[in-house]
Amino acid sequence: MTATILAPVRARPTPMGTQAAVLDWRVMDDELGLADTDDLFTDATPIGGAVESGAPVAARDQFEEQALPFMDQLYGAAMRMTRNPSDAADLVQETFVKAFASWASFTQGTNLKAWLYRILTNTYINTYRKKQREPYQGTIDELEDWQLGGAESTTATSSRSAEAEAIDHMPASVVKDALQSIPDDFRMAVYLADVEGFAYQEIADIMKTPIGTVMSRLHRGRRLLRDLLKDYAAERGIAAASKTAAPGRRGDGSTGK
Amino acid sequence: MMGTDCGCEKARNDLEEYLRNEICQTEHSDIKEHLATCESCRDEALVSRTLTDVVARACKETAPEELKNLVIARIRSAQATH
Repeated sequence: MTATILAPVRARPTPMGTQAAVLDWRVMDDELGLADTDDLFTDATPIGGAVESGAPVAARDQFEEQALPFMDQLYGAAMRMTRNPSDAADLVQETFVKAFASWASFTQGTNLKAWLYRILTNTYINTYRKKQREPYQGTIDELEDWQLGGAESTTATSSRSAEAEAIDHMPASVVKDALQSIPDDFRMAVYLADVEGFAYQEIADIMKTPIGTVMSRLHRGRRLLRDLLKDYAAERGIAAASKTAAPGRRGDGSTGK
Repeated sequence: MMGTDCGCEKARNDLEEYLRNEICQTEHSDIKEHLATCESCRDEALVSRTLTDVVARACKETAPEELKNLVIARIRSAQATH
């Protein structure tokens, strides 16, 4: 995970109308790409031209006003990444500290949310994931579907709407558990696309991977997720059909939210 | 797998990209047209959209109040040291 991976993406001017979404990572990568954690503070590098140019409070106010509103979202992402509240809080804290230290390199008018997510992801990969590295990490994209336990759905056409309904009634805790159990990189792709609504190109920038990899991770992650939810529903006997068959209350309340 | 030549295969392959608006205009209208006439692919699209909605709903979090205070404190103290 070095800045070199990103260079080709960055060097190419974007032909489509996505200018606003394109992120200026160059400066940030020089500062953050190789940094493990908080070298930024010991570094003499641009801890904010704005800060030293005689308007420290203004820069801080601007940062607090613009960046802090993303805290809930970043915390949500950090929860999915680290899988526990205490690491998530640390990760978010570190992200904001780094972001503030690099605030002068953020170009106003560009995509702040994506910029912050990039720092978050970078920090996560450089620190937390080193600690909790999953055994297959790094090769996950090469695994075949059958090795992941996923398979092309063979669901009969008639039951697809039932499947949609079962998914729709899935308790949040079950969805989160399922999400936690799929490989890291797949989970992040799904999160960035489904929860944050980032475009493929933005996810590619955030995760520093080609768009094709983003699509593959997204498809495979969602396929695994869908299979897990389907299994859960099947185990609990949740299906549209069971509703009409069982007029009484379901004892376990598993269809509730 | 939809092995037929009725447009299902193409629609299924690009369904997610279609739903996320990540495909070109021509392909978009092709799939849109197909969905209008194919119930099975429409159901598949419904599952796909539902999955997105449910994941988004389940992942909503609110950062703890103490974290917010901690972050603000760290930002202010970071600045004070410069």
